[in-house]
Amino acid sequence: MEYWILFGVFTALMLVGTPIAFCLGIASFATIVYIGRPAIVVFQQLNSGVSVFTLMAVPFFIFAGDLMVRGGIAARIIQFAGSLIGHVRGGLGQVNVAASTLFGGISGSAVAEAAAVGGIMIPQMKARGYGADYAVNVTSMAALIALLLPPSHNMIIYSLSGGGRISIADLFTAGIIPGLLLALALSVTAYVVAVKRGYPTEPFPGFGKALQYFLISIPGLLLIGIIFGGVRSGIFTATESSCIAVIYAFLVTLLIYRSMSWRAFVHCVTGAVRTTAMVLFIIGAAASFGWLMAYLRVAPLLTEAIGQLTQDPLMVLLLINVLLLVLGTFMDMGPLIVITTPIFLPMVQSFGVDPVHFGVIMILNLGIGLNTPPLGPVQFVAAAVGKISVMEAMRSVWPFYFAGLAVLGLVTYIPALSLWLPALFRG
Amino acid sequence: MKSTLLRASRVLNALSTAALWIAGIGLVTMTLIVAYQVFTRYVLNASPPWTEAASIMIMSWFIFLGAAVGVRENFHMGFDVLIYVLPPGAKPWLRAVTDLAIFAFAFGMAYYGGELALRYWTTRIPVLGIPTTFTYLPIVLAGVLMCLFSLERLLLRMAGENVDEPATDDVVTAD
Repeated sequence: MEYWILFGVFTALMLVGTPIAFCLGIASFATIVYIGRPAIVVFQQLNSGVSVFTLMAVPFFIFAGDLMVRGGIAARIIQFAGSLIGHVRGGLGQVNVAASTLFGGISGSAVAEAAAVGGIMIPQMKARGYGADYAVNVTSMAALIALLLPPSHNMIIYSLSGGGRISIADLFTAGIIPGLLLALALSVTAYVVAVKRGYPTEPFPGFGKALQYFLISIPGLLLIGIIFGGVRSGIFTATESSCIAVIYAFLVTLLIYRSMSWRAFVHCVTGAVRTTAMVLFIIGAAASFGWLMAYLRVAPLLTEAIGQLTQDPLMVLLLINVLLLVLGTFMDMGPLIVITTPIFLPMVQSFGVDPVHFGVIMILNLGIGLNTPPLGPVQFVAAAVGKISVMEAMRSVWPFYFAGLAVLGLVTYIPALSLWLPALFRG
Repeated sequence: MKSTLLRASRVLNALSTAALWIAGIGLVTMTLIVAYQVFTRYVLNASPPWTEAASIMIMSWFIFLGAAVGVRENFHMGFDVLIYVLPPGAKPWLRAVTDLAIFAFAFGMAYYGGELALRYWTTRIPVLGIPTTFTYLPIVLAGVLMCLFSLERLLLRMAGENVDEPATDDVVTAD
């Protein structure tokens, strides 16, 4: 009965359209009252769930990303990428992927990336005769690279949802090869589609110009080293390096690029407050929900049920991948990580899957869900920038989806893609 | 009736803006505190003991105040599939149920949060030395604001105002 209350209330409210945080909170409240525990626990955990020092990296990385987009760091990186590979066939599509990869190394938000790279690239691509649908699809899929490359705040959320024992440094490292693989797959796809549609190339601006653009973008690119190097070497915690990223991005845009106005700064601050409040309020509300799932032994029971179906870890991962893809089309990434990690992680671990590997699978999988209607925030942003409807973008997105799914398959079934690099760093 | 409502709505708008600004100042303060911690730890080799506790406290304040603003600005993420499937006439009803649900949980936040705040008046937060009450105050405050904001939407909808159009602004949201 308590299972029905917990998941029934949650599902019913969710179908009505109640924001996820409130679905979680009310379902926990109802269940705790039913099993006769003091209801006050729900609200105590609402606070203790977010009072975690590591969690602070989430607002900081989001804040830093906003500063980099509005302060022109992103724009300079895109310019540099353009000078490097614009002369390839369908060059602006390649530039889009390359810029997303570079910028993804300093920002962890796919939505911010779609807004930043798309805002600059999509109008240019349309002006040079590229189809708006092509521009939107390249942008929205390439934005997912940011989720895999460090600093990915979703990986921090995953680590905490998994009980906080999964090393963030390992997760950050594990995402690098899959992220680059996704970039490669998308760049090949963009090339093939561009050749088919006869898209133009850009003239090579010359080494002098490319060098100049590189020098201009160095202050931004240095952040890759600061964040990754700091966390990986253990000099800084994830929280500390995210805070340094904020200060650094602020100083660079204010003093070096001189592009940070008071108005833009206020916009960044309020934007970061809105985004983090939404994400972290869900994490607080999920604290008692997670506690109840553990108390009711949801994960072991499900593991047992799955164990009767199959003993093959590959099969289990396939099942979970399909389930996450379906859930991901309807729900946003953050809440899904928070809700499903405590269920799926113990399950796959009992089948011998490494938690770091599973984290990469989950992030990439749910990332693809960010590009599928009815709830595809990244696709919405890209389509809005390209001034086409999501449905128009959907019509020609298939080669790009296919590339994403192919990478997901590779990442799922070749654990070394995720685990080799962290092992190398650990020595 | 309606003009009273709209006047109240202006007051609530001011409250929401104030909460957003306080939360924003909180975010900036938190950044500065952690930066100070990093600076003292690596440069001066002695970091003060209060920075971690203080920054966590500030974080919970801006999360809950920001979440309250989210109720008014309607930016909390939900799952809208039924609204697309059902005929358009169902939308206001579904939204009303959501507002009631938000009101109920927010009431719980104010009530139980208040109980926690009272209960822990005599204990002190280690290092910071202030009453533990301050840990739970943001929940109470956000609960009260969320009650007001969800009630506002319920009443305005009943008065025939269009409150369910998706807010369009250029704010970059999370993923």
